Amino acid sequence: MTEAAFRETTAEPRTQSVPLSHLSLELGHLYMEDFEAGPHRLREHFTQVRPWVEAARAAAAARTGGRRPRISTCFLIDDYFTRFSSPRELVPLLLAEADRAGLRIDYLARESGCAVTGKVPVAQAVAARIVESPPPGSYGNRPPAAQTGWLANGERSPVARAPQAMKPATAWQPPQETAARRHSVFLDVELWNDDADGHRTWSCPFLAAVWQLARLGLLRHEGEPLFTPDAHTGQDFPDDWDELPSLVRLNARADPFAAYRTCSVLPNRFLPVEHAVRVVLDQTEVDTAALRQVAERSAREGVPVPDSVADRVSYVFYAGP
Amino acid sequence: MLACGEIRTCLLPTRQALDIRAAAQLLGLRADERVLLSERPNLYARSPETLTGVDCPLPSANGARVRAVGTVAARAALTEGRVLQTSAYFRLPATGPDQRRPWGHYLVRPGVLEPFGKLPHEAVAHGVLDGGRHGDLDVGLIADGLLTRLLRHPLLDHCPPLRSRPTRLRWAALPAHPGEGPSLERFTLAEDELRTVRLRVPEDTDSAEIAVLCDDLALHDWLLTTLVRMLDGIALGSGTPPRSRPGAPERPAVLAALRPAVDHLLHLWMPRARVAAELAPLWEALEERPGFTRQWLALVQRIRDQLALHAIPALYREVEPAP
Repeated sequence: MTEAAFRETTAEPRTQSVPLSHLSLELGHLYMEDFEAGPHRLREHFTQVRPWVEAARAAAAARTGGRRPRISTCFLIDDYFTRFSSPRELVPLLLAEADRAGLRIDYLARESGCAVTGKVPVAQAVAARIVESPPPGSYGNRPPAAQTGWLANGERSPVARAPQAMKPATAWQPPQETAARRHSVFLDVELWNDDADGHRTWSCPFLAAVWQLARLGLLRHEGEPLFTPDAHTGQDFPDDWDELPSLVRLNARADPFAAYRTCSVLPNRFLPVEHAVRVVLDQTEVDTAALRQVAERSAREGVPVPDSVADRVSYVFYAGP
Repeated sequence: MLACGEIRTCLLPTRQALDIRAAAQLLGLRADERVLLSERPNLYARSPETLTGVDCPLPSANGARVRAVGTVAARAALTEGRVLQTSAYFRLPATGPDQRRPWGHYLVRPGVLEPFGKLPHEAVAHGVLDGGRHGDLDVGLIADGLLTRLLRHPLLDHCPPLRSRPTRLRWAALPAHPGEGPSLERFTLAEDELRTVRLRVPEDTDSAEIAVLCDDLALHDWLLTTLVRMLDGIALGSGTPPRSRPGAPERPAVLAALRPAVDHLLHLWMPRARVAAELAPLWEALEERPGFTRQWLALVQRIRDQLALHAIPALYREVEPAP
């Protein structure tokens, strides 16, 4: 077939691609209370993280078959749930402690950026992309998106009704994980809640799922990439978290932020959160064109990504506070 | 490979056609994805795709209950701001695994349902076109759900300029015989505004493109159906026109009945406007018999003739000298 002579750009989908590393390595994901605990908590964290970072680098090198793998490191600071201190005070402290442990943070991100980046309501857009895993027997009768603010990995227990006169109460029915292997590990994740004024607060696991999609280079807004890093110029950091870009590149020579795969080194209290992240990722339909771009490029490089987005994500959980 | 789908076509329930910006608002099903807008050869807007997860038996003619898991794609389109269509479709590979895989596996294959084991093509194509039993996959429900969602949009005033009925069109595309091109095997007009289309297409045909072709067939079939209904049983001739209220200028009933067709429908006929080049020849079968465009032109001519007839006395009166 010959290509059409007439084209109309608004009638064609377009999706910009993003530069990609082999691995996005997260050196930590800390909350304000971790910073409040003082520099020794950061020092302890990075000391624990260090050997696993080496291991993750070695594993990435093994996958690229000896070629130098492109690896970028990142760190996420929570400024969404609580605000503490200022970037001017905190960021230099963080970088100093990482440096002391022999680690370099290439990119620094703010958790608020996972809710809204610039003017784009990222979390809301991702929530609209949730396609719930259908329990057997779904023939097209289920609404396509989570309406309740909860997302499960299976079927919930039926709601017990108050027994009516002359009728026995129905027996309790267990919930069921859809992909269970013999026995269920049922998980129901709260994605958001609304306060009395209708203000929506996204949950930590949901924002962490958005964060994973950002690191996998799969977020787009009308075809444009989201989470493009701003270079940090000058010495000082701003006094207000809102003045810090959602994603800052601290190392001018860093490999690209987004990557084929991600690895996060976290203390094991994050285990339930990251289980929830998997449940969200497993039921989120990402931009088809972005998905294709990543699959094609990784296959060309000889390091094909797993089909399923959730399988591109890996973790190291260390014993720690 | 087997691709199937179902389409709802209806008049947009608004007094005036929506302009292209309003169309983009109506069809913005997703905050992060653009509505595709096109102005050539006619005004046309198409929503991003939404997915619905299903895990159920496929409808089949021989009672084989083949289970399939995956996602059905659905989207909506608005032509000239006037005709709204929702279209749900899916594709089935010839074989699939014997057990359900993690959901993420299906989500990276939008609009694909994987059967458990081998797919009985012929039986399932029959089943889809005839409609399944309760509990079988029902893509019509998905097209309906999207239409209901759109019809709740605040942009719509629910004052349509003419009476019309929505139509449903079910389609199934079986693989073409080796070495053969696409063909339209049967187009059936059934009762209850249901139409069924049975196609054969080469294996590598994109199911979204087949859906575009079937949307186009559904749109033009709806236009014909609506115009036929409008003229069916209409009192023609120059009978004494009823006065709507005393003192009001005379307005023949025929004019009142036909005027909305001129205002809102006659410019919409444009077969194959967005159909892929390799599928466009399928229209020829319908042009040959029963002759979709032939019938349309006859109806249009009839409407214009009626309007012309009614224009003559008025002109005549105008040139008459005052007493």
